Amino acid sequence: MNLTKKQSVFLIISGILLPVLCLVHLFSGEINIGFQDFIDSFFNYNHENTNQLIIRELRLPRMLMAVITGAGLSLAGLLMQTLFNNPLAGPFVLGINSGSSLFVAFSIMTGIPFLSSDLGVISSALIGAFTFGILILFFSSLVRSNVSLLLLGLMLGSFTGAIVFILQSASSSEELKSFTIWAMGSLQNTELSQLPIITFLFILGLIGSILLVKPLNTLVIGEEDAILLGVNSKTIRLFIISITALLTGLITAFCGPIAFVGLAVPNLVRITFKTQNHFTLIFASVFIGGGFVLVCDILIQLLESNIHIPINALTSLVGAPFVVLIVLKRLA
Amino acid sequence: MITFNNVSIGFNKTPLISIDSLKLNKGELYILIGKNGSGKSSLLKSIIGSQPLLSGEIIIDSKNVHSYSRIELSKKISLVKSTFPKTDYLTVFDFVALGRSPYTKSLGRLRQKDNEIIHKSLEILNSVPLINKFTSELSDGERQLVAIAKAIAQDTSVILLDEPTAFLDYSNKSLLHHTLKRIAKKTNKCIVLSSHDLELSIDTACDFLATNNKTSELTFMKSPVSKDDLLGIAFN
Repeated sequence: MNLTKKQSVFLIISGILLPVLCLVHLFSGEINIGFQDFIDSFFNYNHENTNQLIIRELRLPRMLMAVITGAGLSLAGLLMQTLFNNPLAGPFVLGINSGSSLFVAFSIMTGIPFLSSDLGVISSALIGAFTFGILILFFSSLVRSNVSLLLLGLMLGSFTGAIVFILQSASSSEELKSFTIWAMGSLQNTELSQLPIITFLFILGLIGSILLVKPLNTLVIGEEDAILLGVNSKTIRLFIISITALLTGLITAFCGPIAFVGLAVPNLVRITFKTQNHFTLIFASVFIGGGFVLVCDILIQLLESNIHIPINALTSLVGAPFVVLIVLKRLA
Repeated sequence: MITFNNVSIGFNKTPLISIDSLKLNKGELYILIGKNGSGKSSLLKSIIGSQPLLSGEIIIDSKNVHSYSRIELSKKISLVKSTFPKTDYLTVFDFVALGRSPYTKSLGRLRQKDNEIIHKSLEILNSVPLINKFTSELSDGERQLVAIAKAIAQDTSVILLDEPTAFLDYSNKSLLHHTLKRIAKKTNKCIVLSSHDLELSIDTACDFLATNNKTSELTFMKSPVSKDDLLGIAFN
């Protein structure tokens, strides 16, 4: 599993592009901020200076969330696609996002004040993702074939979707509004003080994925053949689904259900890098996924004075045609 | 090497193949011959432990196949299936390298020795020129050779092959049988391949295991085997 020259060049370029986009992101937004204030906000912070406050309290969390959202969802999608040997798998298809949506819908629309608070919504999303992750894990111990499991995930998604619809039609306009806003997704709901734990959990998921490189590389030829090469597929399934639930739950909790990133980016990465070496694929997904959401969010900020586009709309707007392309290419 | 004791193989309690007692040795090539549906694939899957036996036991190197851990077993037996995985962007090198995965450390890094084994395995099957191609670009015949190279790279004392010559032309079929026979002798491996190609198999001049779907018995036939005997037992 050696890198070709082209792959190394791609990896280095995307690795350099990510921090560059992070900087561009920090400087974008309606208020122009000078270089001195930018440096001071990190090394010589004065909280009475509005510009420094904006960088540190608003833009830094938003930028980091964009990176973690893109990188984390792409990573989760990559793991799912390899586990299920299916380019159309992802945390969305498997119903892990639906778990979050269902729990959040419940917590917002029950009308109980604690549950509809920020903390309530965040914990509901996390609990939802893990509950559905565990449910999928339970299903995976019952069914042998990955296709059946994928089907079960889809069923889970439609079933919870129906419940969410019923909840929506029964809820007040105020509740409906706050659920809809959550469902649109936002990178702005995270506070500086929450960043360390979010970053820690993300890095945990990343390290976990790197430790799975060898079984992931083996799984590309199918679970049955991987077993014959000594892979303990049940344990690996458990690890993969846990990492996916952790990353998806974390991101959905803080940013809402962001669609398509987890599906589109890993496919894009495989097509451009033309490899099945997961060491390369993991880092490429992190760089390109993070970069993709940063670009989306920079675009959103550029257009903000004219039209407000929710992040979930923009990622889908770019992601959906891409999925269509993949399907058509597969058929051809 | 491989010992069968009162083995019964089949589905839903209906035995397809019964073997009272049989020993397969290192350094030999065995051809498993019989009609379609007579249980050849089931027998191979049972030897590698992925299909449960109805009764009896299969012993590999003095230990029951089911008491090996997966990783231990992957260093003992390899199986070349008749189907090839449909995976995009997987190079022949990376595919054959998977055969080394039972031996590599946790991150799967290949050492110099692994690289040498991968090249040598491809060399044995005259497939070195394919090394940088994607497996999705290969012809059916090339895929079969590469799949066998992966099994050789896995460096197991037993290699099982399910219809490995199905997509090869006649000269390559014959060449493959003789190559496998040579590998068995030279590297002291026990190789079992299934086939329903009678003429070709007889030319190979090796021991036969004949399935019969009427009697459900597996008959061991020592070389040299005549065509008529084989026809009578395996094809009624």
